[in-house]
Amino acid sequence: MTANLAGDVTMRYVDLPASEPRDAVPVLLLHGFGTNFGMNWRAAGWPQALGGAGLRVLGPDLRGHGGSDKPLDDASYLPERFIGDLLGLLDELAVDRVDVVGYSMGSRLAWELALTASDRVRRAVLGGFGPVNAFAEADLSAPGAGDTPFDQVFRTVAELQGNDAAALAACARGQAARPFVGEPRPVGVPLLLVSGARDTLATGAEDLAARCAGAHVEIPGRDHATAVSAWTFRQAVVDFLVG
Amino acid sequence: MAEDNTTFTLPDLGEGLVEATVLEWQVAVGDQIERNDPLVEVETTKSAVVIPSPTAGRVVALHAEENEVVPVGARLVTFAVTVSDDSPQAGIVGKVPTEEAKPARRVRLKPPSD
Repeated sequence: MTANLAGDVTMRYVDLPASEPRDAVPVLLLHGFGTNFGMNWRAAGWPQALGGAGLRVLGPDLRGHGGSDKPLDDASYLPERFIGDLLGLLDELAVDRVDVVGYSMGSRLAWELALTASDRVRRAVLGGFGPVNAFAEADLSAPGAGDTPFDQVFRTVAELQGNDAAALAACARGQAARPFVGEPRPVGVPLLLVSGARDTLATGAEDLAARCAGAHVEIPGRDHATAVSAWTFRQAVVDFLVG
Repeated sequence: MAEDNTTFTLPDLGEGLVEATVLEWQVAVGDQIERNDPLVEVETTKSAVVIPSPTAGRVVALHAEENEVVPVGARLVTFAVTVSDDSPQAGIVGKVPTEEAKPARRVRLKPPSD
């Protein structure tokens, strides 16, 4: 499905009803940089795991990604623009409150959503995310040209089918324009952080969880690319949301 | 009701990928599973993926170890699948033998070494 939510940017999203209808808070899944709902979540088995737990899944392709529009100006990718899209989507679907589950950049946005609209978020899960600068040392005027960890990520995702390297570069600059700061913290939204033990982009996740009185689950042996599909991750989230 | 063994190979994962690394099996030998249940988690150079089971059945054999690199088309898992007794049997009611019914499509995974 698609919705025209903010200006000219059309968002593609899926709305998967619960397999066994029950009165539960829907789950909003926010994918990472350079991927999309299908690749980040569906292929990793998430809709099935959440649907099997009786949960409705809302899965947008974030602006600049997947089947959604891909503006080319940096300002279109400031975090608040993504939050505007997400609140627009919830309004469009007449959903009062969600549990939000993010991965990587999606976790940063999940944090922002919980911070700016805590009345719309019941619980939040930040996967593959820590209070480190994901763009450290990278020259964002030419992402992918250097040799920093972000350059390597950029090169991998820029060549994925359906991605637009220019839009992703603008997205990186828009995100980097608002560096993550762990203060202030979302109020009244229980947090769960989940990360692979070898995920360098999630460095400090345990400390961030502790500062927010949240929980942290570490997945042994996994890195940033492989933690998202781990059974342990899905199970920890189902327990956190349904328990 | 009878049982037939059927073997599932690593499917084409798209994007020109020719192999994947087994991260973690989601089933064990002896498990009775449903179609689309999570079967195995694999990693490609692009992403990590959970492959759902193509069939309902009992897991008879797993053909790859965790951390093993498996080429597309290689054997992954064998199931014992329950076959209804009143379904047509090959040869009895003139059903085309399975081998001939399959399209003769082969994917070459590697260039010939000789």
